[in-house]
Amino acid sequence: MSMSREQFLATSGAQVHRLEFYLEQRWLIPEATDTGTGFTDREVARARLIEDLENDFGVNDEGIDVILHLIDQLHGMRRAFAHLKADLSDRPLPSGSQALGAD
Amino acid sequence: MAENPYDLLGVPPSAPAAEIRKAYRKLAKKHHPDLNPGDKAAEDKFKEISAAYTLLGDAEKRKRFDAGEIDASGADRPPQRYYRDYADVDDGHPYASSAGYSDFMEDESGFAELLRRAQRAQANRRGQDLRYRLPIEFVEAITGANKRISLPDGGTLDVTIPPGMVDGQVLRLKGKGAPGFGTGGPGDALIEVEILPDARFTREGDNITLELPISLSEAVLGGQIRVPTPTGDVTMSVPKGSNTGTTLRLRGKGAPRRDGGSGDELVKLKVVLPKPPDPELEAFVSTWAKGKDFNPREGNRS
Repeated sequence: MSMSREQFLATSGAQVHRLEFYLEQRWLIPEATDTGTGFTDREVARARLIEDLENDFGVNDEGIDVILHLIDQLHGMRRAFAHLKADLSDRPLPSGSQALGAD
Repeated sequence: MAENPYDLLGVPPSAPAAEIRKAYRKLAKKHHPDLNPGDKAAEDKFKEISAAYTLLGDAEKRKRFDAGEIDASGADRPPQRYYRDYADVDDGHPYASSAGYSDFMEDESGFAELLRRAQRAQANRRGQDLRYRLPIEFVEAITGANKRISLPDGGTLDVTIPPGMVDGQVLRLKGKGAPGFGTGGPGDALIEVEILPDARFTREGDNITLELPISLSEAVLGGQIRVPTPTGDVTMSVPKGSNTGTTLRLRGKGAPRRDGGSGDELVKLKVVLPKPPDPELEAFVSTWAKGKDFNPREGNRS
């Protein structure tokens, strides 16, 4: 499940100095474990996204910072939406017009 | 998948490499799965575009494709899991942010109430992540350390600082955040490490630098001196005729590198004359003819 820094570097193909930078920027926040830091597939996928932005799309570090922040907000919203959806389907309201009514 | 890659990128077969790259970037930005987390078709589209670009972006492959030696399907991207696949899971993680909509929950409208209810209704919600700031000494950042944080609620949190921390790095302690609800489990503690400046050492990448005063006789005659390192003092030989600015390297005494091994400690020597001025030294230097002949600024004019 969790992988060491070396495994992370091998799996993600990220370079050591870039990883240092990602950690410094808090773009990646691996879990602290007894043996150091633990990375997961989530960090690998996130590092790949950063590298796509950087290498394929020509985004610079400032741009990546903005994009990640927006993506993180987008996923926060998606989660809120998913909960809303679940909540609404748990308690079907009598008519759609009243569901979002002001009172 | 076997569609003509030129058509996919929307460029004529005669397009120069720069145009192909530009067309790819434009399309890829629009279709990257992580920039379209809710669009299932984006991944397939992105795969097609990437495959087309893998083929046409490489001069050698493009030549072979144009000559009919390989077909359009010959350049498939290996399957990849995108960040969105992990970001959407509901167990909570340190990245997702509510900054984009939290104001919608504040007012008294029906929608805000629904949002709040949705949040409360997450019966098995994971606890919140709690953020802390932890100042550590320079030397602790190099060697690692065990620290104890006092929490606002009176509790404590033991933190193991791994060797080789960088300033601003965040340690995540799983399950040490606020308690969760139901079976949601607690959140994480996110500890931002602040490295305090050190009077002696400064860090440059994996190396650390130290300015070390030496006496005139040590500089002229050389000798063994004690040098502080983050892991304790070591003995180093100063070669004869050392100067202010002479830099000596203590291999492996710097910050630990992630690939194993360590950086070096760079010791910059600084010759310091005796204080107060020594009459015997003054008398010697005033009779020292060669010293007056030597002009260190010679050949140094810009």
